[in-house]
Amino acid sequence: MITSNSRPNALQGTLGWLLLVVAAAVLVASLGYAFSQLAAEGHASFNTSSRLPWGQPIATYLYFALASSGLGLVASLPLVFGFKQYYPIAKRCIFLAFIVLISGMTVLAMELGHVFRMLWAIPTGLQTQSAMFWMGVFYALDLLFLLWKFSKLQGGEWDSKTSKQLGIASFIGVLLASGNLALIFGMMSMRPFWFDALMPIYFYFTGVTSGVAALVFFVYLAHGFRRDAMPSALQSLLTGALPKLFAALIGGTLLFIAVRAITGLYSNNPEVNLVWTDYLFASPLYIAALLLGLLLPFALLLSSSIRNRVDIQVLTACLVFLGLFAERFYFVVGGQVVPLFKGTWAPDLIEYAPSTTEWALTLSGVSLCFVLYLLGEKLLNLGDMPRQEPDQRQTEQPAVAT
Amino acid sequence: MNLFQTLINRRRFLQSSAAVGASAGAVTAGISGLTGLAPTKEARAQSPRGDTVVTKNVCAQCPARCGIDVYTTDGRVHAIYGTSDNPIANGKLCPKGHLGTYFLYDPDRFKGPMKRTNPNKGRDEDPGFVPISWEEALDTVAERLNDLRRREESHRFAMFYGRGWGASDAGIQYPFGELYGTPNAAIGHSSMCADGSKKAKHVTDGNNSYSSYDYANTNYLLIMGASFLEAFRPYNYVMQQWGHMRTKSPKTRVTTVDVRMSPTMAASDRALYIKPGTDGAFALAVAHVILTEGLWDREFVGDFEHDGQRFVAGRRIGASAFDEKWVHGLTDWWNEELKDRTPEWAEDVTGIKAADIRRTAMEFGSTRPAIALFERGATGHSNGTYNGMAIHSLNALVGSLFAEGGLGYQVGPSYGELPVKVEDYARNGAWKDQPRLDMKGTDKWPMAGNMMQECAQNHLDADPYTLDTAMFYYTNPIWTAPNPQVWEEALKDVFVIDTSPFPGETAMYADIVLPDCTYLERTQDVPTYPFEGWPMAELRVPAVEPIYDTKMYGDVIIELGKRIEGPMGDYYRELGNLENYIRHLAAGFADDPGDNGVDGFDSWKEKGVWYKKPYRWRLIRGEFYEWDGERYGRQMSEEEVKEHLFKTPSGKFEVNSGYLQEHAEYIERELGIPRDRVGLVQWVEPVHTGGDGDLHLVTPKTPMHAEGRGANLPHNIAIHQPIVGGSGTVYLEVHPQTARERGIGNGDRVRIVSDIGSIEAECRFVAAHRPDTLVLPFEFGHWAQGRWAKGRGPGNSSEVTANRSDPISGLASYYTGKVRLERA
Amino acid sequence: MAKWGMVIDLDKCTGCQACTTACSMENNTLPGESWQDVLYYVEGENPSGQMKWLPRPCMQCENPSCVHVCPTRATYKDEDAGGIVFVDWNRCIGCKYCMIACPYGVRFYADEKPLVEPDIREAFPGENGQLWSPPYQNPEEDYRRGIGIQPAGVVSKCTFCYHKVRHAPEGIADLDEEDPDLKEYVPACVRTCAPKARYFGDLDNPESRVNQLIGDKHGVRLKDHTGNKPQVYYLGAGAGVPAFTPADRETDA
Repeated sequence: MITSNSRPNALQGTLGWLLLVVAAAVLVASLGYAFSQLAAEGHASFNTSSRLPWGQPIATYLYFALASSGLGLVASLPLVFGFKQYYPIAKRCIFLAFIVLISGMTVLAMELGHVFRMLWAIPTGLQTQSAMFWMGVFYALDLLFLLWKFSKLQGGEWDSKTSKQLGIASFIGVLLASGNLALIFGMMSMRPFWFDALMPIYFYFTGVTSGVAALVFFVYLAHGFRRDAMPSALQSLLTGALPKLFAALIGGTLLFIAVRAITGLYSNNPEVNLVWTDYLFASPLYIAALLLGLLLPFALLLSSSIRNRVDIQVLTACLVFLGLFAERFYFVVGGQVVPLFKGTWAPDLIEYAPSTTEWALTLSGVSLCFVLYLLGEKLLNLGDMPRQEPDQRQTEQPAVAT
Repeated sequence: MNLFQTLINRRRFLQSSAAVGASAGAVTAGISGLTGLAPTKEARAQSPRGDTVVTKNVCAQCPARCGIDVYTTDGRVHAIYGTSDNPIANGKLCPKGHLGTYFLYDPDRFKGPMKRTNPNKGRDEDPGFVPISWEEALDTVAERLNDLRRREESHRFAMFYGRGWGASDAGIQYPFGELYGTPNAAIGHSSMCADGSKKAKHVTDGNNSYSSYDYANTNYLLIMGASFLEAFRPYNYVMQQWGHMRTKSPKTRVTTVDVRMSPTMAASDRALYIKPGTDGAFALAVAHVILTEGLWDREFVGDFEHDGQRFVAGRRIGASAFDEKWVHGLTDWWNEELKDRTPEWAEDVTGIKAADIRRTAMEFGSTRPAIALFERGATGHSNGTYNGMAIHSLNALVGSLFAEGGLGYQVGPSYGELPVKVEDYARNGAWKDQPRLDMKGTDKWPMAGNMMQECAQNHLDADPYTLDTAMFYYTNPIWTAPNPQVWEEALKDVFVIDTSPFPGETAMYADIVLPDCTYLERTQDVPTYPFEGWPMAELRVPAVEPIYDTKMYGDVIIELGKRIEGPMGDYYRELGNLENYIRHLAAGFADDPGDNGVDGFDSWKEKGVWYKKPYRWRLIRGEFYEWDGERYGRQMSEEEVKEHLFKTPSGKFEVNSGYLQEHAEYIERELGIPRDRVGLVQWVEPVHTGGDGDLHLVTPKTPMHAEGRGANLPHNIAIHQPIVGGSGTVYLEVHPQTARERGIGNGDRVRIVSDIGSIEAECRFVAAHRPDTLVLPFEFGHWAQGRWAKGRGPGNSSEVTANRSDPISGLASYYTGKVRLERA
Repeated sequence: MAKWGMVIDLDKCTGCQACTTACSMENNTLPGESWQDVLYYVEGENPSGQMKWLPRPCMQCENPSCVHVCPTRATYKDEDAGGIVFVDWNRCIGCKYCMIACPYGVRFYADEKPLVEPDIREAFPGENGQLWSPPYQNPEEDYRRGIGIQPAGVVSKCTFCYHKVRHAPEGIADLDEEDPDLKEYVPACVRTCAPKARYFGDLDNPESRVNQLIGDKHGVRLKDHTGNKPQVYYLGAGAGVPAFTPADRETDA
């Protein structure tokens, strides 16, 4: 169907409604299933255990939280550092960062034993030694700043002093939140697979990478996967800086994984070494995620001849999206698969595959994200950018989508 | 008794959390994971509910008879600890003891008497039990018994028992049989238990019994096939002594000989892995070294007539060169057997290096006091009695019998007389001419104590006759007997009465179920198993009234007896009930009060135990003395020694057994030993069962084997496995090389095949085991027993175990089977 | 106030697991929720293979990493209770971070798949807020110290049987189960240990038997490099935990 000139966004039409209905249906089904399972069996409906307490719901939360941070960091390029070519995606970034974080927190809430108790127990406990306490503080601030900043952008306040200050605050909030999230793992000296002072840098890298992947995908989705439906500034971003940035980020991520793998494989410590040899590199899925989810996109984006193609960009975004989800999963589980303190008593690595309830939670996170996003595209002008920029909408072609 | 004061100590964080919690509002979602905005409704802080009462009982999860304190609050039993002033428990327990509460609250228990409605019997047949009243149940059984007796077929009624506790349960079966008229009233399971060690002692020192041990004072332990730290009796006490032995001065040195890695092997100073069934060869070589090295106890054994004479390998000694003291037949033993039993010879037989045998022998022979102990690992073979004799002879060579730090035998308690005598009522009839169904005491099994494992086949063969009615107490042969498949067939046309509180396999064949109370609900006398030798008798006191409509077995027998026609009914009416019966037993304590002041039923009930220390006899420097009230002061004559200690034809420890010589013809026929040699302690090749199997299968009892109920105790299941594989599963343990040769990987599902059947298991590699020996702890593989046990793998090892027994002791050879291993 | 400590003599321990079952019945834990457990290690090859075992309660660390990571202070080290580390079941949010942070693997989130099927929680369904309600229950309950049967969604752990220990006479050096006046105050695992491989006493009192044993027999703390400083000491051979090796590679040359 064809959208009118006054409807520049592919998702503000029937397609949007259709997708919204589908996403909402998936959300209701998956969340309903997860709820009913939790009501009937409690967390026994998870495949986690006292030996491996953190499973896919935590990985999903981590994935969303870091994608949110990544989006927040990308948004800071124009909003804090003045890279004006990124303006076309700034508002969408902030919005996506917000809803992705909300989705992640929703999944986490279902994973916790007593989520509402958290609301009073964390503030009153004031356990400043705990990285998880700071996670609560920083992500709450992050969420607040994102919302605030978005309201400024929504109000058209791109360059006011408050808006600038908010941008800086949000940037710092994102850095603290995701960096601290990294330390939740990185500071655990009793879990050598995670114990790594540079974990925040790794999280920033992978976070921004997943954020950009999400961004690219959603930008295309918003325009019916047609670049010619986009404002020209956005078009030039997508054929210029962004794919290069994306390639560089994937490259950095790969480098990080490579040095972690080399360190792990070199180490004699079975709590690191075995994770790589017997778990990660023994898993076809992990290897596939590395090759198809990161290496292939990297290679594709390296080539200047094809990296600007729409199909390549959408494909790499999707591949990286999935690849990094696997990376998160294997990161979270990998830190726990070697039976702690069991010696030869436990004969094997701890087996873990997510249960249907856990998959349902992941799915509800994703579908919630879609629902919120689609609502956002419908109700909020996510493609907006500062007034002083040329009004792209005037040069825009009618967008076609099916 | 209020055990705990209620002390409310408020502490820092706790106050604030409650305060905040209270103000946090009250949103409660009904689902797990989302509750918790509201604080817990009650304070839930340091408030014990109700008063706690402690009753004395005796654990019933193995034969050890540990005294237990049962903690009950508001009518619910919630804790069991060892009784502090009980000489076996000393306040301690083994891992099983604490789980006793589960026996009481097992959700799968039989909740009252029932009868069968489905006439078909089999694994997959639902018995269709329907509840009936005790009146109807007892009347039905009594009517059947009366009818059988009217037809002059009373011998076709059999009563089987496994764990007999004392006079008031299994003990009550004997008079019942006498009165009713059946030779089969008390067919015990001892031949499927450990009769081999009793028989080995019977034929050498005349005591048909397990030994008592003075661990506290011993300086050397040679343990052979006994699973000392897993399943040896009394396990709890053995572990207490282990802690003492291993830290006292001097530390007790331990050598363990076994066919597999086990906690005992691991904890010993020296672990020697022996080829299954060859323990006798090892012991003979040790004896050989003790003699050739001149390490024997001269004051007990005797010595050469002349100085300078000695035992030289391969060389005979003169017929009268050696002057035997308390050992009979040593010269013959040396000349006809021992002189050639060198460590080098034994290395070929046992697979243990000669140097290790020699080292062990040198240590054992030169450390006093020293004990050689053994159990089914050594005796569960066709040559079991001879293996046991060889090991037990080591105790004689180093003078450990009745010595401080050595071993002795258990003395029974001073029970009172019953108010009625069986002779007054016993019925003499045609049944007196009938052999027992298991043919014990006939030419088939002349020396065995019981032969329960034979009963199923004998019934099927109608030789000597078929069973009509069978009653089972604390035994489950349909699952536990070797080759239990035969029992499954045999009991199909027998009227089966089961008395277990639990739904075991035999109960699934029951026509009538007369459920016993669990031990926490029973009154029951429990004289001790062999322990430290001095007499002791404990008493079970119910912690709670029966929580279901169950009846103590002793009362069931008495009530049945009352319903039998003729004078038998009078006998039981006279006896009254179980408590009356036990009160009469306790009356004996009035003349012989215990060390703890117990002199009758009431004080017995309060303390839970009657005992009198010390042990009555002692060997001191080659002479025997009796306790005179203050010390071992009265020397015993040879006649007294023969009467009380060495009850052999010679009145001495016999390394050339007079008892066996009396059965020379039988032994020659069954074992192929020339009849003039049968008495000698000697090496006999084991005959393994299982067909063409190339691997030995051993099926050890583990610390968690809870008298057959372990498989239905969830906590037990969770920690059952003592060696490999974490928790929750019992694995077949196999040497990696053995597995890999058969293309089997670690964790694979495997099939264990013998000539009578096959079972499946998951396997785990344990490189510490012998490559030719598979280890499968038995416990699981039930097809009944309750929700947790049913269908829980691995398979039941009995199903690949042939029903073959040591002809002398009658002990079923559970550990002699050979099998094939393949991937399932 | 005392600093409660435990000493476990591995030269006496027979690996029987009575400590484990005594604990599970005293504290009404689920099958597999072994606050106190015994771990077995098999190494080497026949005929010289070895097996070691390690009874493992909560170490009640002086510097407990689980306490540091808890975002709500639900888990805390109570110096007024002898330095025992508790979980306040009224505060715990079930994030399980403490389970990640504990180097010894002694924390449990019982709201998980049952180790033993069928689920015993179905045989004895929870009442009155409890995760499960067996007919036998220790009458002692104190949610603020994680004593009793836990509600759903919280972490549970060994409390050194504080509901017993708290009654100990003030200033006592050792809680010896052989003293009839003290036996009810001794932690279940110590009280029942048949070979008397366990001792319980005040680590702050240089006169205590536990300190004497640690001194005489060179007591060691497990994983001391973590800096957690356990209040549980091990004596004798076998306190070294072999590194994890997948079982099928144990005998690979």
